[in-house]
Amino acid sequence: MMETTETIDQDKNISVQRTGEETRKLAFKNVLCTSCGLCEKICPVTAIEVEPAGATLEEQEASKIDIKEDKCVLCGMCACICPYNALEMEIDGKSVKDIEEYPKLLKSAEISEDVCVYCKACETACPRDAIVIARDLPERSKLVTGEIEIDKETCIDCGICEELCPADAITMEHKEPTADSPTVSSDIEVDKDKCVYCLICKKACPVDAITAACRQCSYGEYDLKAEDSEITGSTFIDEDLCVDCGWCEEICPVDAAKVEKAFEGTITVDQEKCQGCETCVMICPCNALSFPKSEESGGKPEKLHAEEKYCIFCGACEKACPNEAITVERTGIKSTPIKSKSWKTAFESVKGTSK
Amino acid sequence: MSIELVTYPELCHGCGNCVVTCPVNALRSPEVAGGKGPTDEVDLIMEVEDGSIELKRTELCGKCGACARSCPVSAIRLEKLEDAK
Repeated sequence: MMETTETIDQDKNISVQRTGEETRKLAFKNVLCTSCGLCEKICPVTAIEVEPAGATLEEQEASKIDIKEDKCVLCGMCACICPYNALEMEIDGKSVKDIEEYPKLLKSAEISEDVCVYCKACETACPRDAIVIARDLPERSKLVTGEIEIDKETCIDCGICEELCPADAITMEHKEPTADSPTVSSDIEVDKDKCVYCLICKKACPVDAITAACRQCSYGEYDLKAEDSEITGSTFIDEDLCVDCGWCEEICPVDAAKVEKAFEGTITVDQEKCQGCETCVMICPCNALSFPKSEESGGKPEKLHAEEKYCIFCGACEKACPNEAITVERTGIKSTPIKSKSWKTAFESVKGTSK
Repeated sequence: MSIELVTYPELCHGCGNCVVTCPVNALRSPEVAGGKGPTDEVDLIMEVEDGSIELKRTELCGKCGACARSCPVSAIRLEKLEDAK
Protein backbone atom coordinates (compact mmCIF):
# COMPACT_ATOMS: atom_id res chain seq x y z
CA MET A 1 0.00 0.00 0.00
CA MET A 2 1.27 3.42 -0.89
CA GLU A 3 0.77 6.34 1.42
CA THR A 4 1.97 9.93 0.98
CA THR A 5 2.51 12.11 4.04
CA GLU A 6 3.70 15.69 4.37
CA THR A 7 5.23 17.32 7.42
CA ILE A 8 6.40 20.89 8.00
CA ASP A 9 8.71 21.57 10.94
CA GLN A 10 9.22 24.74 12.98
CA ASP A 11 12.00 25.93 10.66
CA LYS A 12 9.51 25.82 7.77
CA ASN A 13 11.29 22.80 6.28
CA ILE A 14 8.99 20.51 4.34
CA SER A 15 9.17 16.75 4.01
CA VAL A 16 7.00 14.73 1.65
CA GLN A 17 7.28 10.96 1.98
CA ARG A 18 5.69 8.06 0.16
CA THR A 19 5.88 4.50 1.36
CA GLY A 20 5.36 1.50 -0.88
CA GLU A 21 7.71 -0.86 -2.69
CA GLU A 22 10.33 1.79 -2.17
CA THR A 23 10.30 4.74 0.21
CA ARG A 24 10.63 8.09 -1.53
CA LYS A 25 11.27 11.22 0.42
CA LEU A 26 11.50 14.82 -0.77
CA ALA A 27 13.03 17.20 1.76
CA PHE A 28 12.93 20.99 1.43
CA LYS A 29 15.32 23.19 3.41
CA ASN A 30 13.72 26.60 3.75
CA VAL A 31 16.89 28.45 4.72
CA LEU A 32 18.70 27.49 1.50
CA CYS A 33 15.81 28.47 -0.79
CA THR A 34 15.93 31.80 -2.66
CA SER A 35 12.44 31.53 -4.17
CA CYS A 36 13.88 31.39 -7.69
CA GLY A 37 10.96 29.31 -8.91
CA LEU A 38 12.88 26.70 -10.92
CA CYS A 39 11.23 23.84 -8.98
CA GLU A 40 7.80 25.28 -9.72
CA LYS A 41 8.74 25.58 -13.38
CA ILE A 42 10.05 22.03 -13.80
CA CYS A 43 7.40 20.22 -11.71
CA PRO A 44 5.42 18.06 -14.18
CA VAL A 45 2.30 17.97 -11.99
CA THR A 46 2.16 21.60 -10.71
CA ALA A 47 2.56 20.41 -7.14
CA ILE A 48 4.86 23.27 -6.19
CA GLU A 49 4.03 26.92 -5.66
CA VAL A 50 6.79 29.44 -4.96
CA GLU A 51 6.06 32.86 -3.51
CA PRO A 52 8.00 35.86 -4.86
CA ALA A 53 11.12 36.38 -2.78
CA GLY A 54 10.05 39.85 -1.64
CA ALA A 55 6.95 38.36 -0.04
CA THR A 56 8.90 35.74 1.88
CA LEU A 57 11.28 38.45 3.02
CA GLU A 58 8.33 40.07 4.79
CA GLU A 59 6.36 37.02 5.84
CA GLN A 60 8.99 34.90 7.50
CA GLU A 61 6.47 32.63 9.17
CA ALA A 62 5.72 31.01 5.84
CA SER A 63 7.72 28.40 3.95
CA LYS A 64 9.11 29.88 0.76
CA ILE A 65 7.50 27.13 -1.26
CA ASP A 66 4.35 25.09 -0.94
CA ILE A 67 4.32 21.43 -1.95
CA LYS A 68 0.90 19.87 -2.47
CA GLU A 69 1.32 16.31 -1.28
CA ASP A 70 -1.82 15.16 -3.05
CA LYS A 71 -0.29 16.21 -6.38
CA CYS A 72 3.42 15.47 -5.82
CA VAL A 73 4.52 12.26 -7.53
CA LEU A 74 7.97 12.33 -5.91
CA CYS A 75 9.74 12.18 -9.25
CA GLY A 76 12.70 14.23 -7.99
CA MET A 77 12.95 16.67 -10.90
CA CYS A 78 12.74 19.66 -8.55
CA ALA A 79 15.59 18.30 -6.45
CA CYS A 80 17.74 17.82 -9.55
CA ILE A 81 17.19 21.35 -10.96
CA CYS A 82 17.47 23.29 -7.66
CA PRO A 83 20.70 25.31 -7.90
CA TYR A 84 20.72 25.98 -4.15
CA ASN A 85 20.47 22.39 -2.85
CA ALA A 86 17.29 23.42 -1.06
CA LEU A 87 15.46 20.33 -2.28
CA GLU A 88 16.80 16.84 -1.68
CA MET A 89 15.27 13.60 -2.90
CA GLU A 90 15.96 10.25 -1.31
CA ILE A 91 14.95 6.79 -2.44
CA ASP A 92 15.16 4.17 0.30
CA GLY A 93 17.44 6.50 2.21
CA LYS A 94 19.82 7.12 -0.71
CA SER A 95 20.15 10.61 -2.15
CA VAL A 96 19.44 10.84 -5.88
CA LYS A 97 22.73 12.75 -6.06
CA ASP A 98 24.37 9.37 -5.53
CA ILE A 99 22.22 7.56 -8.08
CA GLU A 100 23.74 7.67 -11.56
CA GLU A 101 20.45 7.76 -13.47
CA TYR A 102 19.47 11.07 -11.92
CA PRO A 103 21.05 14.12 -13.61
CA LYS A 104 23.14 16.45 -11.52
CA LEU A 105 23.81 20.10 -12.32
CA LEU A 106 27.50 20.64 -13.07
CA LYS A 107 28.49 23.44 -10.75
CA SER A 108 31.49 23.88 -8.53
CA ALA A 109 33.81 26.38 -6.94
CA GLU A 110 37.43 25.67 -6.06
CA ILE A 111 40.41 27.61 -4.82
CA SER A 112 43.85 26.29 -5.67
CA GLU A 113 46.10 26.60 -2.62
CA ASP A 114 49.16 26.27 -4.88
CA VAL A 115 48.23 29.58 -6.50
CA CYS A 116 46.41 31.39 -3.66
CA VAL A 117 48.31 34.24 -2.01
CA TYR A 118 45.80 34.45 0.86
CA CYS A 119 44.80 38.05 0.17
CA LYS A 120 41.26 37.32 1.45
CA ALA A 121 39.57 39.30 -1.35
CA CYS A 122 37.30 36.31 -2.07
CA GLU A 123 36.41 35.93 1.60
CA THR A 124 35.30 39.57 1.66
CA ALA A 125 33.50 39.41 -1.68
CA CYS A 126 31.66 36.11 -1.18
CA PRO A 127 27.98 37.06 -0.88
CA ARG A 128 27.19 33.90 1.09
CA ASP A 129 30.11 34.07 3.55
CA ALA A 130 31.02 30.62 2.31
CA ILE A 131 34.78 31.18 2.13
CA VAL A 132 37.23 31.08 5.00
CA ILE A 133 40.87 31.98 4.37
CA ALA A 134 43.26 31.23 7.22
CA ARG A 135 46.77 32.62 6.92
CA ASP A 136 50.00 32.56 8.89
CA LEU A 137 52.05 35.71 8.51
CA PRO A 138 55.83 35.74 8.91
CA GLU A 139 57.40 37.24 12.03
CA ARG A 140 57.87 40.95 11.53
CA SER A 141 61.41 40.74 12.89
CA LYS A 142 62.36 38.39 10.05
CA LEU A 143 61.37 40.95 7.43
CA VAL A 144 63.74 43.65 8.72
CA THR A 145 67.38 43.72 9.63
CA GLY A 146 69.36 46.29 11.55
CA GLU A 147 70.92 47.33 14.82
CA ILE A 148 69.76 49.52 17.66
CA GLU A 149 71.24 50.42 21.01
CA ILE A 150 70.31 53.00 23.61
CA ASP A 151 73.19 54.44 25.62
CA LYS A 152 71.56 54.45 29.05
CA GLU A 153 74.32 56.71 30.48
CA THR A 154 73.48 59.45 27.99
CA CYS A 155 69.68 58.94 28.08
CA ILE A 156 67.82 61.64 30.02
CA ASP A 157 64.59 59.61 30.42
CA CYS A 158 62.51 62.09 28.44
CA GLY A 159 60.36 59.31 26.95
CA ILE A 160 60.16 60.96 23.51
CA CYS A 161 61.39 57.83 21.72
CA GLU A 162 58.81 55.68 23.52
CA GLU A 163 56.02 58.07 22.56
CA LEU A 164 57.06 58.29 18.91
CA CYS A 165 57.94 54.66 18.22
CA PRO A 166 55.37 53.44 15.59
CA ALA A 167 56.04 49.80 16.44
CA ASP A 168 55.68 50.11 20.24
CA ALA A 169 59.16 48.61 20.52
CA ILE A 170 60.52 50.96 23.19
CA THR A 171 59.47 50.64 26.83
CA MET A 172 60.56 52.99 29.58
CA GLU A 173 60.06 52.01 33.21
CA HIS A 174 58.50 55.20 34.52
CA LYS A 175 58.76 55.95 38.23
CA GLU A 176 58.47 58.76 40.76
CA PRO A 177 61.86 60.23 41.71
CA THR A 178 62.86 59.69 45.37
CA ALA A 179 65.63 61.18 47.49
CA ASP A 180 67.75 58.06 47.20
CA SER A 181 66.95 57.55 43.49
CA PRO A 182 66.28 60.97 41.88
CA THR A 183 65.33 59.75 38.36
CA VAL A 184 61.99 59.50 36.51
CA SER A 185 62.80 56.15 34.99
CA SER A 186 64.45 53.01 36.23
CA ASP A 187 65.22 51.52 32.83
CA ILE A 188 64.62 51.71 29.07
CA GLU A 189 64.53 48.74 26.68
CA VAL A 190 64.12 48.14 22.95
CA ASP A 191 62.25 45.00 21.94
CA LYS A 192 64.22 43.89 18.88
CA ASP A 193 61.42 41.57 17.76
CA LYS A 194 59.20 44.61 17.37
CA CYS A 195 61.70 47.22 16.12
CA VAL A 196 61.52 47.88 12.37
CA TYR A 197 64.66 50.08 12.28
CA CYS A 198 62.76 53.09 11.00
CA LEU A 199 65.21 55.32 12.94
CA ILE A 200 62.55 57.76 14.13
CA CYS A 201 63.78 57.40 17.73
CA LYS A 202 67.33 58.10 16.71
CA LYS A 203 66.33 61.25 14.83
CA ALA A 204 64.10 62.47 17.66
CA CYS A 205 66.40 61.80 20.63
CA PRO A 206 67.39 65.23 22.04
CA VAL A 207 70.71 63.91 23.43
CA ASP A 208 71.72 61.47 20.65
CA ALA A 209 71.59 58.51 23.06
CA ILE A 210 70.37 56.12 20.37
CA THR A 211 72.61 54.46 17.79
CA ALA A 212 70.61 52.66 15.16
CA ALA A 213 71.06 51.52 11.57
CA CYS A 214 68.83 49.80 9.06
CA ARG A 215 70.95 47.21 7.28
CA GLN A 216 68.35 46.78 4.56
CA CYS A 217 68.68 50.45 3.58
CA SER A 218 72.43 50.25 3.17
CA TYR A 219 73.04 46.68 2.03
CA GLY A 220 69.72 45.57 0.54
CA GLU A 221 68.18 42.26 1.49
CA TYR A 222 71.33 40.11 1.54
CA ASP A 223 70.87 38.88 5.09
CA LEU A 224 67.12 38.31 4.82
CA LYS A 225 66.01 34.80 3.92
CA ALA A 226 63.25 34.53 1.33
CA GLU A 227 61.69 31.58 3.14
CA ASP A 228 61.27 33.70 6.28
CA SER A 229 58.90 36.04 4.48
CA GLU A 230 56.67 33.29 3.12
CA ILE A 231 52.93 33.56 3.85
CA THR A 232 51.25 30.21 4.33
CA GLY A 233 47.62 29.39 4.86
CA SER A 234 44.60 27.37 3.92
CA THR A 235 41.35 27.95 2.07
CA PHE A 236 37.90 26.57 2.72
CA ILE A 237 34.65 26.82 0.77
CA ASP A 238 31.49 25.74 2.56
CA GLU A 239 29.66 23.81 -0.14
CA ASP A 240 26.33 24.10 1.62
CA LEU A 241 26.50 27.89 1.49
CA CYS A 242 28.32 28.36 -1.84
CA VAL A 243 26.04 29.18 -4.76
CA ASP A 244 28.80 29.15 -7.41
CA CYS A 245 28.16 32.80 -8.26
CA GLY A 246 31.67 33.50 -9.52
CA TRP A 247 32.61 36.39 -7.22
CA CYS A 248 35.72 34.62 -5.92
CA GLU A 249 36.94 33.84 -9.44
CA GLU A 250 36.33 37.40 -10.64
CA ILE A 251 37.95 39.14 -7.69
CA CYS A 252 40.96 36.82 -7.24
CA PRO A 253 44.10 38.73 -8.31
CA VAL A 254 46.08 35.56 -9.07
CA ASP A 255 43.45 33.35 -10.75
CA ALA A 256 43.42 30.84 -7.89
CA ALA A 257 39.62 30.46 -7.83
CA LYS A 258 37.71 28.56 -10.47
CA VAL A 259 33.93 28.47 -10.64
CA GLU A 260 31.75 26.38 -12.91
CA LYS A 261 28.16 27.54 -13.30
CA ALA A 262 25.28 25.20 -14.10
CA PHE A 263 23.31 27.69 -16.17
CA GLU A 264 24.36 29.90 -19.04
CA GLY A 265 22.22 32.86 -19.85
CA THR A 266 21.58 36.57 -19.88
CA ILE A 267 20.01 39.08 -17.52
CA THR A 268 18.57 42.35 -18.82
CA VAL A 269 16.95 45.27 -17.04
CA ASP A 270 14.22 47.46 -18.49
CA GLN A 271 15.33 50.78 -17.01
CA GLU A 272 11.96 52.39 -17.81
CA LYS A 273 10.02 49.83 -15.81
CA CYS A 274 12.39 49.71 -12.84
CA GLN A 275 11.13 51.98 -10.06
CA GLY A 276 14.01 51.34 -7.70
CA CYS A 277 12.21 49.36 -4.97
CA GLU A 278 15.42 47.37 -4.41
CA THR A 279 13.62 44.08 -3.76
CA CYS A 280 15.80 42.29 -6.32
CA VAL A 281 19.00 43.65 -4.76
CA MET A 282 17.89 42.41 -1.33
CA ILE A 283 17.01 38.91 -2.45
CA CYS A 284 19.78 38.14 -4.96
CA PRO A 285 21.99 35.51 -3.29
CA CYS A 286 24.83 36.33 -5.68
CA ASN A 287 25.13 40.07 -5.09
CA ALA A 288 24.82 40.43 -8.86
CA LEU A 289 22.54 43.47 -8.70
CA SER A 290 23.21 46.97 -7.40
CA PHE A 291 22.12 50.56 -7.71
CA PRO A 292 25.00 52.72 -8.95
CA LYS A 293 25.64 55.89 -7.00
CA SER A 294 25.47 59.14 -8.91
CA GLU A 295 28.98 60.45 -9.55
CA GLU A 296 27.97 64.09 -9.37
CA SER A 297 25.12 65.72 -7.52
CA GLY A 298 22.07 65.80 -9.71
CA GLY A 299 23.56 63.12 -11.97
CA LYS A 300 21.28 60.38 -13.22
CA PRO A 301 22.96 56.96 -13.19
CA GLU A 302 21.26 53.85 -14.56
CA LYS A 303 18.58 52.66 -12.14
CA LEU A 304 19.59 49.05 -11.70
CA HIS A 305 22.90 47.49 -12.64
CA ALA A 306 22.88 43.75 -13.33
CA GLU A 307 26.24 42.04 -13.67
CA GLU A 308 26.21 38.73 -15.56
CA LYS A 309 29.67 37.82 -14.24
CA TYR A 310 28.14 37.18 -10.83
CA CYS A 311 24.70 35.95 -11.92
CA ILE A 312 23.79 32.26 -11.93
CA PHE A 313 20.60 32.94 -13.90
CA CYS A 314 18.30 31.39 -11.31
CA GLY A 315 15.57 33.96 -12.01
CA ALA A 316 14.74 34.86 -8.39
CA CYS A 317 15.02 38.61 -9.18
CA GLU A 318 12.78 38.26 -12.22
CA LYS A 319 10.18 36.53 -10.06
CA ALA A 320 10.55 39.09 -7.26
CA CYS A 321 10.24 42.21 -9.46
CA PRO A 322 6.70 43.60 -9.23
CA ASN A 323 7.09 45.52 -12.49
CA GLU A 324 8.61 42.79 -14.68
CA ALA A 325 11.62 45.02 -15.21
CA ILE A 326 14.10 42.13 -15.14
CA THR A 327 14.40 39.39 -17.73
CA VAL A 328 16.54 36.36 -17.02
CA GLU A 329 17.00 34.04 -19.95
CA ARG A 330 18.65 30.67 -19.52
CA THR A 331 20.31 29.55 -22.75
CA GLY A 332 22.14 26.47 -21.52
CA ILE A 333 22.13 23.96 -18.68
CA LYS A 334 25.18 21.91 -17.82
CA SER A 335 24.39 18.60 -16.20
CA THR A 336 25.53 15.01 -16.12
CA PRO A 337 24.07 13.05 -19.07
CA ILE A 338 20.29 12.67 -19.07
CA LYS A 339 19.07 9.38 -20.50
CA SER A 340 15.32 9.68 -20.09
CA LYS A 341 13.53 11.61 -22.84
CA SER A 342 10.95 13.09 -20.48
CA TRP A 343 13.68 14.33 -18.17
CA LYS A 344 15.51 15.85 -21.13
CA THR A 345 12.31 17.67 -22.08
CA ALA A 346 11.81 18.81 -18.49
CA PHE A 347 15.34 20.21 -18.25
CA GLU A 348 14.89 21.94 -21.62
CA SER A 349 11.65 23.49 -20.34
CA VAL A 350 13.47 25.67 -17.82
CA LYS A 351 15.47 27.32 -20.61
CA GLY A 352 14.29 30.67 -21.91
CA THR A 353 12.52 33.17 -19.69
CA SER A 354 9.74 32.69 -17.19
CA LYS A 355 7.66 35.32 -18.97
CA MET B 1 -0.74 28.70 1.33
CA SER B 2 -0.39 31.99 -0.37
CA ILE B 3 1.10 35.28 0.74
CA GLU B 4 -1.22 38.23 0.25
CA LEU B 5 -1.40 41.94 1.04
CA VAL B 6 -3.20 42.56 4.32
CA THR B 7 -4.02 45.95 5.84
CA TYR B 8 -4.74 47.00 9.41
CA PRO B 9 -6.74 50.25 9.01
CA GLU B 10 -6.97 50.66 12.78
CA LEU B 11 -3.15 51.10 12.85
CA CYS B 12 -2.91 53.29 9.74
CA HIS B 13 -1.91 56.93 10.16
CA GLY B 14 -2.73 57.74 6.55
CA CYS B 15 0.80 58.91 5.74
CA GLY B 16 0.70 57.49 2.24
CA ASN B 17 4.24 56.08 2.33
CA CYS B 18 3.03 52.75 0.93
CA VAL B 19 1.14 54.42 -1.92
CA VAL B 20 4.21 56.41 -2.96
CA THR B 21 6.75 53.62 -2.36
CA CYS B 22 4.84 50.95 -4.28
CA PRO B 23 6.84 50.41 -7.49
CA VAL B 24 3.74 49.22 -9.34
CA ASN B 25 1.89 52.42 -8.45
CA ALA B 26 4.97 54.43 -9.40
CA LEU B 27 5.13 52.87 -12.84
CA ARG B 28 1.42 53.49 -13.47
CA SER B 29 1.39 57.06 -12.20
CA PRO B 30 4.36 59.44 -12.23
CA GLU B 31 2.30 61.78 -10.02
CA VAL B 32 2.03 59.14 -7.34
CA ALA B 33 5.74 58.34 -7.68
CA GLY B 34 6.41 62.03 -7.08
CA GLY B 35 4.51 61.97 -3.81
CA LYS B 36 1.10 63.34 -4.84
CA GLY B 37 -2.23 61.65 -4.91
CA PRO B 38 -3.48 60.72 -8.38
CA THR B 39 -5.44 63.42 -10.15
CA ASP B 40 -6.77 61.15 -12.86
CA GLU B 41 -8.47 57.79 -12.88
CA VAL B 42 -5.51 55.47 -12.58
CA ASP B 43 -5.58 51.96 -11.19
CA LEU B 44 -3.44 51.73 -8.07
CA ILE B 45 -2.89 48.82 -5.70
CA MET B 46 -3.70 50.92 -2.66
CA GLU B 47 -4.75 54.46 -1.88
CA VAL B 48 -5.31 56.54 1.24
CA GLU B 49 -8.96 57.49 1.50
CA ASP B 50 -10.37 59.59 4.34
CA GLY B 51 -7.08 59.24 6.19
CA SER B 52 -6.83 55.46 6.04
CA ILE B 53 -5.40 52.81 3.77
CA GLU B 54 -7.70 51.17 1.24
CA LEU B 55 -6.68 48.26 -0.95
CA LYS B 56 -7.80 48.72 -4.53
CA ARG B 57 -6.43 46.66 -7.44
CA THR B 58 -4.59 44.00 -5.39
CA GLU B 59 -4.36 41.71 -8.43
CA LEU B 60 -1.65 44.06 -9.76
CA CYS B 61 0.53 43.40 -6.69
CA GLY B 62 3.86 41.68 -7.38
CA LYS B 63 4.41 41.05 -3.66
CA CYS B 64 7.78 42.80 -3.49
CA GLY B 65 7.17 44.03 0.06
CA ALA B 66 8.24 47.64 -0.53
CA CYS B 67 5.00 48.96 1.02
CA ALA B 68 5.43 46.86 4.15
CA ARG B 69 9.02 48.06 4.56
CA SER B 70 7.99 51.70 4.17
CA CYS B 71 5.08 51.63 6.64
CA PRO B 72 6.06 53.17 9.98
CA VAL B 73 3.33 51.35 11.90
CA SER B 74 3.08 47.97 10.13
CA ALA B 75 -0.42 48.75 8.95
CA ILE B 76 0.25 47.04 5.61
CA ARG B 77 1.86 43.62 5.54
CA LEU B 78 2.38 40.57 3.41
CA GLU B 79 0.96 37.63 5.28
CA LYS B 80 0.40 33.97 4.72
CA LEU B 81 -3.27 33.18 4.25
CA GLU B 82 -4.46 29.62 4.36
CA ASP B 83 -6.12 28.56 1.11
CA ALA B 84 -9.77 27.76 1.36
CA LYS B 85 -9.80 24.00 0.87
